[in-house]
Amino acid sequence: MERPIFQPVGTPVNDIDTPALVVDLVAMELNIEVMHSYFRQASANLRPHIAGHQCPQIAHSQIDAGGTVGGVSVNTVGEAEVFSDSGINNILVVNQVVTAAKIRRLCSVAQRCRIGVAVDNAKNVDDLAQAALEAGVTIEAYVELEAGRGISGVAEGKPALDLARHISKSKGLHFGGLLAMPPVPKARKEGDERIYPTHVEIKQVAVQSLQPVLDTKKSIESDGLRVPNVAVGGTWLYDIAGDMPGITEVIAGSYPLMDYDSCQLRGEFSQAAKVLAQVISHPVEATAILDAGHKATGPDLGIPVLEGMAGSKATGFSAEHGTLKLEGEAAGHFNPGDKAWLLPYHLGLCLNQYDYIRAVRDGKLEGFWLMPGRGRFG
Amino acid sequence: MDYNYRPTVGTPMEELDTPCLILDMDELDNNMDVIAHFYAGQSSKLRGHSKNHKTPAIAHRQIRRGGTIGGVCSAKVAEAEVMVHGGIPSVFITSEVIAPLKIDRLCALAQDAEMLVACDDPKNARDLSRAAAAQGVELGVVIELETGMGRCGVQDVQQGLALARTIQGLPGLAFKGIMSHQTIPVMPDREDRVTEARRVIQGVINLKDTIEADGIPVEIVSTGETWSYDAVGEIPGVTEVQGGSYLIMETSYDYMTEFHHAGKVLTTIVSTPRPGVAVGDAGIKAVGMLRAMPEVDGRPGVTVDSMDPDRTVYKLDAGVELQIGDQLALLPPQQDAMVSRWDRFIGVRNGKVEVVWDIQARGCHN
Repeated sequence: MERPIFQPVGTPVNDIDTPALVVDLVAMELNIEVMHSYFRQASANLRPHIAGHQCPQIAHSQIDAGGTVGGVSVNTVGEAEVFSDSGINNILVVNQVVTAAKIRRLCSVAQRCRIGVAVDNAKNVDDLAQAALEAGVTIEAYVELEAGRGISGVAEGKPALDLARHISKSKGLHFGGLLAMPPVPKARKEGDERIYPTHVEIKQVAVQSLQPVLDTKKSIESDGLRVPNVAVGGTWLYDIAGDMPGITEVIAGSYPLMDYDSCQLRGEFSQAAKVLAQVISHPVEATAILDAGHKATGPDLGIPVLEGMAGSKATGFSAEHGTLKLEGEAAGHFNPGDKAWLLPYHLGLCLNQYDYIRAVRDGKLEGFWLMPGRGRFG
Repeated sequence: MDYNYRPTVGTPMEELDTPCLILDMDELDNNMDVIAHFYAGQSSKLRGHSKNHKTPAIAHRQIRRGGTIGGVCSAKVAEAEVMVHGGIPSVFITSEVIAPLKIDRLCALAQDAEMLVACDDPKNARDLSRAAAAQGVELGVVIELETGMGRCGVQDVQQGLALARTIQGLPGLAFKGIMSHQTIPVMPDREDRVTEARRVIQGVINLKDTIEADGIPVEIVSTGETWSYDAVGEIPGVTEVQGGSYLIMETSYDYMTEFHHAGKVLTTIVSTPRPGVAVGDAGIKAVGMLRAMPEVDGRPGVTVDSMDPDRTVYKLDAGVELQIGDQLALLPPQQDAMVSRWDRFIGVRNGKVEVVWDIQARGCHN
């Protein structure tokens, strides 16, 4: 567990002990307002995904902001336990839950919380149904469609229809509808540069990947089975899916805190979570060494970007150290004791390394917020 | 915080809730014994690095089994706190400690344990001295010499000598010696490793000789890591070898066949969506994929195809099948990057749980 120095409320942000995961509450609240003001008037509702913060306070402020389904989505049963314990009573698990022990835990959460789960296999449907019957609960099973990520999910059309029928005949389960998480459009690399798709390109990709989902809904309904929900994600397609007839829920998780990668696709949100680090060595003119390495930044999918002056750049992260290269006007800066701000490239992997958010407002510490969902891998 | 999962002793491995981080206790003991055996005949000893396991119980077992200096290295002050509070009598922080808040905590630990710290800057030495003198404790200071990482450290012998003289004259500090850290080339041939280690570490020996010629005793020369444990250990003048990866092991050290994989993430197949494809419940958050993808342990024909934060997609060779509910074990490409994501080791021997250890220093970044 992290062992932060719990500095007093009001501590200036630059005095916070490092490395620290710092959230600017003003930026976060603005991000939430941008997203929720859209969904307060859109035809679909928003289901915030907690992977983007793992923090119940933030989940509750998302639900309070309106335009939602009144609940959240999670990746694991462990996360469902944490968020139901924090008072959220409508949770969709967007992964498969298959082992007997996990299904029992899921049914236990369903005693006190509305629970949905993604399925892509008939035997798994039977296991869930039997456990739900034994526990005396009802679980909403969503048919997961493979929407291009190449991970789990059944194919559109007949396989989805067959599984939906199977669910609808299973006691202990309700057919929740369809779930699809199309792949986030990737930046293409040109030399060292990443070129991100434009809004027009994003829209094309979203419409292309969502059409088969809507077609499948239609074919299931023409077979006489009502499809109560069509849930699709994530942040990158929110205002494309949000007003698409037939889509009832948009799952989105990145938007409250954001990260470097997501901000390139969706400029209306800003990066509210950053890592504060300290320079511990400046061995030669062109190099400064930070006290934040990969354990404090989670750079598995991309290294953090330094928020610095021209000529300064974060170039490498070993386990315990980060390396800054300094050229031109940056050369005299970043001396031992100086602070540096790092913009995480993928926030989920960064906050996976912390237990606390240092919540700040107007440059001052407002509190330490625990992220009890962190580390709930199963 | 993770799901508060403590399977009872004796639980069969196939009944473990996944994903979980398991430690094969036979292999852990083997790895400790390789080190104990090697250093039994050496003038140098291992000072095991706690950044790799972050668990006082493992540090104590490592010291008990032999070959060590009787203490540990730690990367950060918070990690050192966990080790000292857990009863480790001597801790060497192998990074520079700059922030006044951290220096004060470091000094407080010196009430209960021998505390050593790396230093590469005279101003930092003066800050350490002021705090140690104010708290009435003594800090052991070890000069870090840069030997090719492009990271911290004094750059040459002259800088090192000047810093040694500065430290020598400061109250509250005891000049202890020199350390260096090197990059990790893959060198399966031991002769090559010995030659490379001697080449890289010659600079450290030169600095030691220069400081001693100046009349300042050099008690500690600390260098090396797992890749060079057997090469550096034999270099005259080296007193301590830093090493930690060997305990848990990772795929990048597979060429060192005397060490075996002890740390693995146990995962369950949750989806078999298409022929030749299976999806498991452990992803990047649970295993890490910094240098490479993890490898599947002991299942020919099953390979990691891609990972997302919460899941891994496996490719199955023709004729190989996996069922939903099947377990796999994943071997990490980088073991400390895997361990630092978990709150608990589940120690397993002969297919059954033997012990559950809290990874108390996980998240101790500061």
